[in-house]
Amino acid sequence: MNRSLESPPQAFSTDPWKTRIDRAFARALLIPLAVSIGLLALLLGDTVYRSFSVQVVRADEGPGKTYPFGLSANEILRQELLARGYTEEEISSSLQDPTERRVLLLQNRVELMWNTQDGPFRYVVTGLRDERVEDFSLAEGLRRWNELKANLGEGERLVLNPWLDQSFLTRPPSRSPLTAGIGVAIWGTAWVLSLALLIAIPVGVGTAILLEEYLREGTLNRILEVNLRNLAGVPSIVYGLLGLALFVREFGLGPSILAAALTLGLLGIPVIVVTSREALRAVPESLRQAAFALGATRRQVVFRVVVPAALPGMVTGVILSAARLIGEAAPPLLVGAAAYVPFFPNGPMSEYTVVPVQIYLWVSMNIPEFSRVAAAGILVMLAMLSGLYLMALYLRNRFRREW
Amino acid sequence: MVSLELLKDHETVRSAPVTEAEALVDVRRLNLWYGKKQALYDISVRFPRNQITAIIGPSGCGKSTLLRSLNRMNDLVPGVRVEGEVLYEGVNIYDPRVDPVAVRRQIGMVFQKPNPFPKTIFENVAFGLRLMGFKGSELEDRVVEALKRAALWNEVQDRFRKESGLRLSGGQQQRLCIARAIAVEPPLLLMDEPTSALDPIATQAIEDLITGLKQHYTVVIVTHNMQQAARVSDRTLFMHLGVLVEEGPTELIFTKPKHPYTEAYITGRFG
Ligand SMILES: Nc1ncnc2c1ncn2[C@@H]1O[C@H](COP(=O)(O)OP(=O)(O)O)[C@@H](O)[C@H]1O
Ligand SMILES: [Mg+2]
Repeated sequence: MNRSLESPPQAFSTDPWKTRIDRAFARALLIPLAVSIGLLALLLGDTVYRSFSVQVVRADEGPGKTYPFGLSANEILRQELLARGYTEEEISSSLQDPTERRVLLLQNRVELMWNTQDGPFRYVVTGLRDERVEDFSLAEGLRRWNELKANLGEGERLVLNPWLDQSFLTRPPSRSPLTAGIGVAIWGTAWVLSLALLIAIPVGVGTAILLEEYLREGTLNRILEVNLRNLAGVPSIVYGLLGLALFVREFGLGPSILAAALTLGLLGIPVIVVTSREALRAVPESLRQAAFALGATRRQVVFRVVVPAALPGMVTGVILSAARLIGEAAPPLLVGAAAYVPFFPNGPMSEYTVVPVQIYLWVSMNIPEFSRVAAAGILVMLAMLSGLYLMALYLRNRFRREW
Repeated sequence: MVSLELLKDHETVRSAPVTEAEALVDVRRLNLWYGKKQALYDISVRFPRNQITAIIGPSGCGKSTLLRSLNRMNDLVPGVRVEGEVLYEGVNIYDPRVDPVAVRRQIGMVFQKPNPFPKTIFENVAFGLRLMGFKGSELEDRVVEALKRAALWNEVQDRFRKESGLRLSGGQQQRLCIARAIAVEPPLLLMDEPTSALDPIATQAIEDLITGLKQHYTVVIVTHNMQQAARVSDRTLFMHLGVLVEEGPTELIFTKPKHPYTEAYITGRFG
């Protein structure tokens, strides 16, 4: 009697070894997670770190001056040109003419540096032929800042350059890393993606509705089901080859935005069909029954009940497929995204480049600072993707339903 | 023992039969197959106007099938085949010239599990009305009227425009489904075990509602709950294995059943 009070009965005692093994196993499962998070953080950290550098730049024409924070771009350009020896009349006439002003801005990058030899947060104007003398990593550059500042030569400037800045986001590409920007590629991506979705959404969603709501138990349905899943898994370069043969050559669209949009649209369709079908399938049968019982026709059931109920899921699917399309480099490369596109696209037949292709080209350049430009480009790409994923996440949580 | 062979050529036992004039719905020799499997055998029965008729019987006996053949919901099941006639106001709804969609607009249906649309309470009730072309203030008046008749108005009047039907409790959802069904003023209302997913208090509320509905509507209700049939209905049908065994006024069926199977079922001595 007494013994049972002191120690628990045998049936309820735990086996210390089993507990220990369980615990060790649970911990072991955390290792791969920790490793992958660590690697991702390392990659991101490295990219961010490489997007900053400390540079000594020799101005080709100008005096290597810096300008205080708060001045307008026009005012900065005016002062810079004055310092280069132009007269007041020449300057104001070229600043007033829109074409000439655009050319001036194309040739001269006005950007805000985090630190300069004249103090923090000042503007500099970088010309096309300005030359980098030295380029240091952030740590080394900051350590040797004073020494570099003391040894600046005539027409040279010392800057802490954040490569990812406003001017980078808005400028066209350039042969010099100092003046290169990702603006044209961002616009190219926006054009290609919106046209591609304009094609892929109606076709994909329409197919999903047809298969899921009209042809439920057909042979056609089963054949398409298998084919769509296969199509969704075809490597994107195959779509690129198809686009090259069909749209660029056969249809004579050339290396245009439209050809890229058609190619990426094709690539997006299977994914949109599969995700939309899943969203439609998640709508309970009882809702369709309710609508039919109220005297709705098949079309009314589909468009007044089923599609609205499935919409959040479909939109999420479309966003995720958009995220996939944004990141594709192979198909646009094949259908003619160009290496150097100085002009912003102005229509579906324009020349274009897209962000991943631009990054790829920068990475493969052999001027070292292009790796810094590429790092800035990668950060832009990641920001775009995170934006889309956050949007999908928000929609998923905001419209989550318990039936 | 109870077997289909014994029932197959069974002549339904009828007490106080409904006359043709009293009947809103007149089912004549209805047979129904799901693919090869026959689910209803030669069913003939009349449902009187402004009365509540209950269908009882063990599960799988074809109660829902019979109910769903009254508004042609069975047409949606692939492979279904129907023989016989269902006369609604004297018109055979299985006539090839009849549009099943038009039939369903005349006949409301409430399901076992509450199934409100993921829309606002207002839009749920307005759904059928919109299909019929109602708009503006007339639409609103009829939505409010339906919510009142379904005894839901007091609980939702301050939020029915904004709140989703899915946010209501189970019992409220079922009353919303009833409101949705009666908003279009269907002369006939079909209910398939409308309280089987609800707790006793919500069940009580729905039962009170159903008894009140018969002023305006003719109701056919399927239930597996015999007390419920006894409480709410005027007439009762007892089915077994796809056969209509016995039908008659509810008091008679429950106090003096004529067929031994009916007696066995209502006294709980059944398989
Ligand atoms: N959609 C269907 N397809 C095939 N068989 C069905 C279907 N619905 C019901 N059945 C069959 O028909 C018979 C009657 O079913 P049902 O009318 O649902 O019975 P109850 O409502 O009385 O429980 C059962 O044997 C059932 O298996
Ligand atoms: Mg049933």
